[in-house]
Amino acid sequence: MKKITIPILVTVVGALLLGGSFLFSSGGEGSLDVDIVKTQTIMPAAHNVYANEDALNGKYFLFKAKITNSSKNTLEDVTVRYRIPGFVEWTELDVIGEMFPGQTASVRCYPKFPESIAEKMTESTEKAEIEITWDGATEDEMIEEEIGFRISNRSEYMFTNIPASEIAGWADVYNNDALLACFVTPNDPIVQYYTQNIQEKILMGEAASVSKDPNEAVRFLGGIYNATLLSHMVYSGTKGIPETLQDISAFSQQNRLPREVITGNTGLCLELSLLYASILSNAGLDPFIFLVPGHAYPGFRLNGQYYAIEATGIGGEGLGKISSAEEAFEAGMKQLNEFFQKQQQGDPRYTYVDVHLVNKMGATPMALKDDNFLRKKVDDIVASWGKAGSLPKASSGGNTTRYVSNNGSASNTGGGGGGGRALSFAVPSGWQTMMRPMPEVGILTAQALSPDQYVSVSVYDIAVSNGSDAMYTISNVLANYGMSVEFEMEGNNVYGNTYSSNGTFTWMGKTLRKNGGIRVVAVGAPDYAFNQYSGVINQVFNSIR
Amino acid sequence: MKKYISLLIVLLLATTTTGIAQQMQQKIDMRIDSIGNAKIKMSMTMTAQEWQGWAASFGNNPAALKREIERGMPGYFLDDFKLEKDEMNRSFELSLNAYGACDIDKRGRWTVETDQKDANLTKITDHKYMLVSSPMEYGGALQQTYTIEFPEAATDIEVDKDALGNSIFEFKMERPSGGFNLLRLSGIALLVIGGGWTGLSLVGKKN
Repeated sequence: MKKITIPILVTVVGALLLGGSFLFSSGGEGSLDVDIVKTQTIMPAAHNVYANEDALNGKYFLFKAKITNSSKNTLEDVTVRYRIPGFVEWTELDVIGEMFPGQTASVRCYPKFPESIAEKMTESTEKAEIEITWDGATEDEMIEEEIGFRISNRSEYMFTNIPASEIAGWADVYNNDALLACFVTPNDPIVQYYTQNIQEKILMGEAASVSKDPNEAVRFLGGIYNATLLSHMVYSGTKGIPETLQDISAFSQQNRLPREVITGNTGLCLELSLLYASILSNAGLDPFIFLVPGHAYPGFRLNGQYYAIEATGIGGEGLGKISSAEEAFEAGMKQLNEFFQKQQQGDPRYTYVDVHLVNKMGATPMALKDDNFLRKKVDDIVASWGKAGSLPKASSGGNTTRYVSNNGSASNTGGGGGGGRALSFAVPSGWQTMMRPMPEVGILTAQALSPDQYVSVSVYDIAVSNGSDAMYTISNVLANYGMSVEFEMEGNNVYGNTYSSNGTFTWMGKTLRKNGGIRVVAVGAPDYAFNQYSGVINQVFNSIR
Repeated sequence: MKKYISLLIVLLLATTTTGIAQQMQQKIDMRIDSIGNAKIKMSMTMTAQEWQGWAASFGNNPAALKREIERGMPGYFLDDFKLEKDEMNRSFELSLNAYGACDIDKRGRWTVETDQKDANLTKITDHKYMLVSSPMEYGGALQQTYTIEFPEAATDIEVDKDALGNSIFEFKMERPSGGFNLLRLSGIALLVIGGGWTGLSLVGKKN
């Protein structure tokens, strides 16, 4: 008997261990670990962005959850759902077919708020309820979480969603600037109505978006300005765009919507910029909002060139000077010149919102309903245009004033060291001009660079008698700097490539007789970008005289 | 739910493209493990000017680098960042873990999205693919070369398109083995030994 007791005991222990191995691997409570990261504030104006996982690289989620299967079992059909009482009913976010032991899933929530959120005039604190279940989960095992967040009023724009303690630079301060496009409302029936009135009553017809003529587009910009001027719209300054990194109080701003600026007849710099951008977009132009420390101003891009106006030039009687449309445009272009210079120097405080680009990236405006009361107010404002009789003195000819040269380029208003024609070509608006950029290369008189620094124009003055000699001189000089020039001449035109350790630069230019010598003006771009910029390259090339 | 492998690593390039820029090359290796997480390694060699700009923005401030990557990849949970710089050769290698890089649907089918229409994919081996892209934001000035390596357990790897026409990888993967289960193996061993021993004892007693 004693002989078989030990083997039986060994068998029993073996059976117990085998049974136990199944028992202990059967998971049990808390078999999913959940880690949730949430956003602090939802801006109703940007509700379309929060609803779209593809918008702006998906960075505007309500929450994201890291779910890890911490059990030893494979869980099937792990289902994540959520609701926001009063806004979103129970909604399934994701069903993960199988979750292996140790497997992690990342689930993001982009809530589709009802359109009525765009009418929210007060802020509130809300909560989202999250529920995670899987096949066979008991009520005890099911995971329920709650997160709290704030929904601001529809007018609030937060410059950043990064906590103040995390802000390290201006890129952080302007982290939300793409969301400004959500406040640009070209499809708002009230803005459309106002735009139609400007086109009809102020401009007596307008076709800038069809003709692509900068003169016509700038006339339209002046028309918007004159409309605000005639209705005695006033600039009302308040704390707005942040000026310093410590300016935490200005990290959010209440923005009246463009329709409210029109009917309220007053606006801050940013609000006026949003109004202009809305009208420009509605008219088919390509609006931009330029942000600089403490200020914002609107503009547009046409044929690769930028134009801007100082919309706050309307001032107000209490504020003193009221600028004419022409003065406001000149001020805008001057600021634009400074803007691009600062940007090229790498100053991160100078940035812009390309409204249509960020629209394409998913930052779309809120939908606003038509409103008969507001239409009536627009009618009253339009009627006041007639009563005003005429524009302020300096802009009395505003409707016919030509702000740009006939070749389509705005005159270079300075900063670059020389007017466009002095360099034998029209310097496009916003470009940086450098006189004698390389003093050691005596024949290089000037260079002009596009704002994004892809396209450049070089002006060489060489004391030779013909274009061919001029080109060989340039080739020899550049060879000293490791560059090899290959060119072909057709009359006065010259086409070629310059090879260097930086790659290939493709260009086209003209040779001109100048001051007893030859001037060579060449415009081009890196070979891979040449086709992309061929429009502006041809424009500069055609302006060489 | 979308998961992008087109990591916005271009964010690492804080340098502005200057004048006549040379095309920059970035190499990104993504190794997916048997539970759908990814180990990502990025490497790049720069020109002197690019290196100066990168070092000023990120190279000398790894915390800023980590933050930029986290913001550029909002869908992921990332950790284990390691940055190795080779200052002599103006190059760096950054590695990190991305959890939940792959999806698994209701039918148990795994997917990895490329977020690129008609992605230029090349099959290197049964479990390794290469993808070359030039992000539009950089106007062709940057070329990214990804290698995506699937685990050995992945089978039937196919390139397909999602509803938006973007290229995706689909594959099957069985549950990874639970590894060495000491308890179970010990139990089986003791059962066999005990059973055999008992049997032998009983036979011996009978004889």
